[in-house]
Amino acid sequence: MFLNEYVELLMFVAAFGLILFGFPVAFTLAGVALAFAVIGDMVGIFQLRQLNFLPQRMFSVMSNEVLMAAPLFIFMGLMLEKSKVAEDLLLSMAKLFYKVRGGLAISVVMVGMLMAAATGIVGATVVTMGLIALPVMLRAGYDPKLATGVICASGTLGQVIPPSIVLVFLGDILTYANQQANLAAGNFAGKSVGVGDLFAGSLIPGLMLVGLYLCYVMLIAWWQPSAAPAIETDIEELQMSAAERRQLLINGLMAPVVLIVAVLGSILAGIATPTEAAGVGAVGATVLAGLRARPDQRTWLLLGGASAIALIVINGYFDLLVARTDFSGTEQVVLWVSYVLVGMVTIAVVMSVFFTWRQGVLTQVVHSTTRISGMIFAILVGASLFALTFRGLGGEETVHRFLNSLPGGLTGAMIFVMLMMFVMGFFLDFLEIIFIMVPIVGPVLIGMGADPVWLGVMIGINLQTSFLTPPFGFALFFLRGVAPPEVQTTQIYQGVIPFIGLQLLGLGLVAAFPILATGLPDYLFR
Amino acid sequence: MRIVVDFLDGLTEYFGRMISWLALFMVLMSFTTVVLRYVYGISNVAMIETIVYAFAILLAGSAGWTLLHNEHVRVDIFYGAMSERNKALVDLFGAVFFMFPVLFIIWSKGLPYVSRSWKLRETSNEVAGLDYLYLLKTFILVFAVVLAVQGVSFVLRKVHILIHGTPMQTKFGPQREQA
Repeated sequence: MFLNEYVELLMFVAAFGLILFGFPVAFTLAGVALAFAVIGDMVGIFQLRQLNFLPQRMFSVMSNEVLMAAPLFIFMGLMLEKSKVAEDLLLSMAKLFYKVRGGLAISVVMVGMLMAAATGIVGATVVTMGLIALPVMLRAGYDPKLATGVICASGTLGQVIPPSIVLVFLGDILTYANQQANLAAGNFAGKSVGVGDLFAGSLIPGLMLVGLYLCYVMLIAWWQPSAAPAIETDIEELQMSAAERRQLLINGLMAPVVLIVAVLGSILAGIATPTEAAGVGAVGATVLAGLRARPDQRTWLLLGGASAIALIVINGYFDLLVARTDFSGTEQVVLWVSYVLVGMVTIAVVMSVFFTWRQGVLTQVVHSTTRISGMIFAILVGASLFALTFRGLGGEETVHRFLNSLPGGLTGAMIFVMLMMFVMGFFLDFLEIIFIMVPIVGPVLIGMGADPVWLGVMIGINLQTSFLTPPFGFALFFLRGVAPPEVQTTQIYQGVIPFIGLQLLGLGLVAAFPILATGLPDYLFR
Repeated sequence: MRIVVDFLDGLTEYFGRMISWLALFMVLMSFTTVVLRYVYGISNVAMIETIVYAFAILLAGSAGWTLLHNEHVRVDIFYGAMSERNKALVDLFGAVFFMFPVLFIIWSKGLPYVSRSWKLRETSNEVAGLDYLYLLKTFILVFAVVLAVQGVSFVLRKVHILIHGTPMQTKFGPQREQA
């Protein structure tokens, strides 16, 4: 019967149609899935009993130690943002580079790359940079098209450059998809992938995009100096004395960079799991925020930071496993020193927590972290219910058959899936798309021979491009919301077009040379 | 009607604010475990599991609060351009036909799952882990309850808009979030 064959596709279409009405996506997805489950049960092509797995699915999300990294990264990003550490980062970059032609645009790209580590939820970086950098760039005589284009593109980089929150979720889903594909192929020794692999895999393509943006900006600055001028005149935000410059270099620039590099580096070096690194990053962000809130107390806070570094150094030379009892004299001394250092770190952390709490920033951060977590969990629950029903109705079979029937094998299937996700990116956020699509198409594509890490990186860049594409791209809406009225919407649209071109170039390169994505994880972890 | 809404909102708001400090707990605890493990080689399963517990409670307990603050992601291409009345209609329809049935199914499927865990007094899979897995699983039901509580308030607000044409003046909500 026709209905039996295509009911799961109908469910897909219905969910999309209804999502457009604007009721929260999580509940619309779940509601539509439930309606189809009930109808399916009545006509005998589905059994409601199959939904008995739902609580177990929910619980496996709640107790997933990899996903625990997400609230920690969200905490870290919000802390950097709300304490205005991120703002300082942008301003200090601008102050360093503004005398260079195209310097402001270059600093926007660089900050976009660094903030990538932090925010991850679409929009925050675009909004921050739109509020701070755009007015400065416009006053400096930048072409509004270039200014808005570079902000949109750099602001969305956050999704593809590790350690981003979406990569945590994407990595977790791909792990599962990969297992399923291996299982289906009867390949019990297949390689496993984790969030760390995806972080490593997306690093080079992400940096490649940054490189492409920088080349483009420098090319424009050289070719068309009026679009991206060097600044000779006084712009009040950029004025500063030599002492301020030093202060800014340390607090505004060095510290966040060190933090981000440390978080990412410890994951890539295999020292820390993403969850552990996220916890360290969140504490580091809090200390930076404390430093900014109370510069007068910086002695203790900086001592804490120095102690942390000293601990790492000590750890490199001595083995302080407390379980041992045969400590030599020197080791005994080092052990006592380490207790003092840990004490110093603790003091700095406690003080920072107190300062940021007094300032009101900490409360805002934990509140937002909690509500964002609730939002993500609701979507996960909705997507789980959707996936359960979709599978139960035989959707997996249909997708499998359909993707395999496309001409061109894996290439054809990839092109189709990429196009579909690109269009979905106009309407849905990154998380919703990957929660709905990847569990369904992931195992099939991996089964057809796609490398899971490569697939994840392709999805990331593809969706980032989608968020830039007029007229529906998310980044454009966010920037429009904070851009001064004299910037026309059409200018924003024109501004992003070159960057869409760069994105497609990047996507094409990764598609043609999968080693760009798979090379680093293979080198690091295998 | 306003009293009911304010009461339900109050429950949601204070419960949300309370559990939100679990985010700080998670951060500090995970930092502590990292320090202990990498400096002293100490790794305590029960301690790590407290982070998992905090995470689970944070996830499942916060959805109602997110609803109160209207932070569940919507696609607002069309919604954003609608009149207050039409928005209220969409929300009311969605709550009645999508959200509440889903909460019901989560409750009815979750209840046997959770009560089995209670009967067994289910404990951690890890040897030295925490022995309260049944309490943790209960939060599947808490998810449905906090959303149902806030869902009632949500529906009442929308009904108010349909009747009076203007949003209800309430004590809690997105516009009342102090900086």
